[in-house]
Amino acid sequence: MEVVAINRQDRILKLGYSEAVAIAMVYIGAKVFLGYPRFLVEMGLNAAWLVVIIGAGVSMLFWLVVVSLLSRFPGKSILSISMIVLGPVLGLIVNLTVLFYLIASSSNLLRLFSDSIIITALPEAPISSLVLLFGVIMLLAAYLGLEALSRNAYISLPFVTAGVLAVLFSLYPFWETKNLLPLLGPGPLDVMINGFLNCSAFGEVMVLGILAPYFSFDKKMLRNIGIFSITLVGFGFLAITLVYLMVLPVPAALEHLAPFYQLSRSIFWGRYYQRLESVFILFWTYTAFLRLSLGLLVVALASKDIFRLPYYRPLLPALIIIFYSLALTPDNLVTAIAIEKDRLLYSWVITLLLPAVLTLIAVLRKKEEKGG
Amino acid sequence: MTVNQLKQFITRLFIFKEPPPKEDFILHGAVGIRSIVPQRREEEKGKKKKRLKKKPLPIARASSPAKGGAATDDPGEADPEGQDGQNGKNRPDRPYTDMLVSPELEVNKERIKQIYSLPKNKDIILREFVIQLDRPVKAFAAYIEGISDRGTINENILRPLMSVCKPEMQSGSVNLAEYLKDSVIYGNQVDLHEKYKDIIPLVNYGCTVLFIDSAPAALVVETKGWDHRSIGKPETEQVIRGPHEAFNETLRSNTGLLRKAIRNTDLITEFIKIGTRNQTDVALMYLENVANPKLVAEVKRRISSISTDYVGETGILEQFIEDHPLMPLPQVLATERPDRTASFIMDGKVAILLDGNPNVLIVPADLFSLLHSPEDYYLRLPYGNLVRLMRVIAVFISLITPAFYVSIAIFHQEMIPTDLILAIAAGRETVPFPTIVEVFFMEFAFEMIREAGVRVPGVIGNTLGIVGALILGQAAVQAGIVSPILIIVVALTGLASFAIPNYSMSFAFRGVRFVFTALAAAFGFPGITAGLFVLLSGITAMKSFGVPFMVPIGPRTRSGPDIVMRGPVWSMEERPDFLDTQERRRQPQISRGWVKKKAQEPNGGGRNQ
Repeated sequence: MEVVAINRQDRILKLGYSEAVAIAMVYIGAKVFLGYPRFLVEMGLNAAWLVVIIGAGVSMLFWLVVVSLLSRFPGKSILSISMIVLGPVLGLIVNLTVLFYLIASSSNLLRLFSDSIIITALPEAPISSLVLLFGVIMLLAAYLGLEALSRNAYISLPFVTAGVLAVLFSLYPFWETKNLLPLLGPGPLDVMINGFLNCSAFGEVMVLGILAPYFSFDKKMLRNIGIFSITLVGFGFLAITLVYLMVLPVPAALEHLAPFYQLSRSIFWGRYYQRLESVFILFWTYTAFLRLSLGLLVVALASKDIFRLPYYRPLLPALIIIFYSLALTPDNLVTAIAIEKDRLLYSWVITLLLPAVLTLIAVLRKKEEKGG
Repeated sequence: MTVNQLKQFITRLFIFKEPPPKEDFILHGAVGIRSIVPQRREEEKGKKKKRLKKKPLPIARASSPAKGGAATDDPGEADPEGQDGQNGKNRPDRPYTDMLVSPELEVNKERIKQIYSLPKNKDIILREFVIQLDRPVKAFAAYIEGISDRGTINENILRPLMSVCKPEMQSGSVNLAEYLKDSVIYGNQVDLHEKYKDIIPLVNYGCTVLFIDSAPAALVVETKGWDHRSIGKPETEQVIRGPHEAFNETLRSNTGLLRKAIRNTDLITEFIKIGTRNQTDVALMYLENVANPKLVAEVKRRISSISTDYVGETGILEQFIEDHPLMPLPQVLATERPDRTASFIMDGKVAILLDGNPNVLIVPADLFSLLHSPEDYYLRLPYGNLVRLMRVIAVFISLITPAFYVSIAIFHQEMIPTDLILAIAAGRETVPFPTIVEVFFMEFAFEMIREAGVRVPGVIGNTLGIVGALILGQAAVQAGIVSPILIIVVALTGLASFAIPNYSMSFAFRGVRFVFTALAAAFGFPGITAGLFVLLSGITAMKSFGVPFMVPIGPRTRSGPDIVMRGPVWSMEERPDFLDTQERRRQPQISRGWVKKKAQEPNGGGRNQ
């Protein structure tokens, strides 16, 4: 390992593939601790697991297209590429749309995670106090930088995975395979359509495109990392959805606001160990901190990229105030869930379709850069 | 009372007036400073613009050596003028800086008297005598009583000079000093010096200087000899299995201990002096063909850039050279064990020894080496790993046990088995304080017992520990101030914190646990998670001499089986990748030759594979 360059602000940061996979997995996967499994059941009923598989497959295809765009402009982020391909005015409009989406999605997640903590652990706490806690931690972590956060994600991911697996396997006595029938749920057409829309859930893989300048590997590796991350997270979603369906029948599965928490509540290890869900709170809140901090950092880095700023750190206090305000904007949890549901249905337009269109335009206009 | 007197009285009531000085002693320096300060400020204002234009020194060890000789192989030689200027070696408070040794003995004597404030200063001894040659030559020796060895001075300097009689030697030339150096004086290290700036630091360090009439150079004989502690047992890094030697306060003993452990010609010992007034010796030890030259250059650069009056302890030196002074975790490994230091040097790290200190600094440090103990390697694999596992658990216990207790007691009562929660509730029934107050009270009391135990003399210290831990705890429970279960929590936490092998690391975790407890009191388990998240983010952002603190897992680098757990010693084939050493391989793929031999045999080898 060669240690190079080191000036706190100016250094050229380069992340390895392990860290890149960890970032993508946390960015895509954190929502599984919120209402995402319930949303899957709503879309696919007993065939929710098929919805996951189809969604993962579609997003992989989109990712391949996006990587081909990134390959045409080595060392450039997808936001910079947009400016090159679409020109400064249209590119800026598109980039601002993406930035708005990034801010809105992460701040809504901030609200949802805060509300989840109220539901699961601190029923008496005011929502603003939890949003504030998250906000302060996000600010600190984002200030420490992408290097620190990506390493943190890489180190903590095995522990979070172990926690998830512990919950899933602890429920083994309650696995009821009959709950998976009928296999095709609402019918093949609905499953296919909803499966396609579910590619939004994996669309957050686009974060790799935004962070592309910070990676030390080539585009071929980036392609593999995207596919690898989608596959791993897809397996995670699949496992949780399957267990969720097997443990809770569909009508009950449609009711819970925090399905993973509900799963951990269902664990029974004998009379001595009771209410173990509090322990598992440690795992999913950790992922929440990671995801939200990454969300803030990605927004800051994207702003730096779009507005061609030299540093991102001075933006953080302003951004965290925006996050805080937007998180508290929905009247109640139900509104926030509705926003998240819309995001899960339609965000693929911004995260996957838009880069694909960019690729098409780049090919048509023969825009390309050599070197990097 | 006249009107004037009345006015004065009223004025005195409302206006503060400095009372007239009653002390005999008045600190004139302070008064002087006041008058100088405005003038200095004016001067500094003028200089400010120039200073701002200067770019800060890059921290990189891979940076270009061109600017200011920053990353040259020998910073001491790279920019002697600039560095001397920075360290104040050429300051006017050293009148001898430009002086040369005079051929007139009386001139030299006067200069020595002036430099050392004789006869007021009683530590300096001037011994005048006559060298017996064809024509007796006057001379005098100067040395500092207490740090010079009298026996060596008498036997190796004075006796041969005062009894020698070599009529063939012509006195009165520079060759006389050369001749005395080569043929008369028995000293093992004798040098000729012409400049006072070379002579005085040596005399200050126990050497004897010899001025000879009509010779334009002085002889400096190595006569160091002071009372010192002999090599003893380690105080803070004790092991059951392994050597029981520890460093002491003598630099040369310490370098000798390391040289005894590493019998290799590539083991380099370089000296740098730090401190404007004290000129303390710092020794860097590393393996020349193993350690990364950039790392060595960076260590030298940081140490030689220190500009201060006095660095008396490795703890102070550590604060001068570490990357993140405000982070709770240490970024330099301090050890008092020669065997451990030797093993780090063999890995390619750099050891920093400071004169007068029994602790050696090892750089770069990483989190995992700070959690290891030398005994982990000396014990067999299963035992070594068992000890490490317990230590990892101890780290988590020391960090989050009080926070866990507070979380459960305040927010998550439902997760405790009913019988246990009833027991806790019964214990807390008589306690008037909220849980967090109770916990902070007991944790603070524990820290106080620990601190008091360190400060008071040894015999009382043990008694204090027992009094504090047993009687105070028992009495607090009986008085209904704290609950019995909290005593268990605090004792367990304290015990766990002492299981952390590194002293600084133990301090760090003990301090951080208070933050965790406060977070737990405010937000329960999510608060603990927030603390863990920030702590891990902070650690992953840290670097020690350019090496990320969480290597080899954050960032992931190639590493042998020695991170949290360790593999068999014969499987540790390569040095850590993050050190980027010149020789990567520590041992061949098959280091146990007997296995190889057996395997090659056509018959009988298979059974042992």
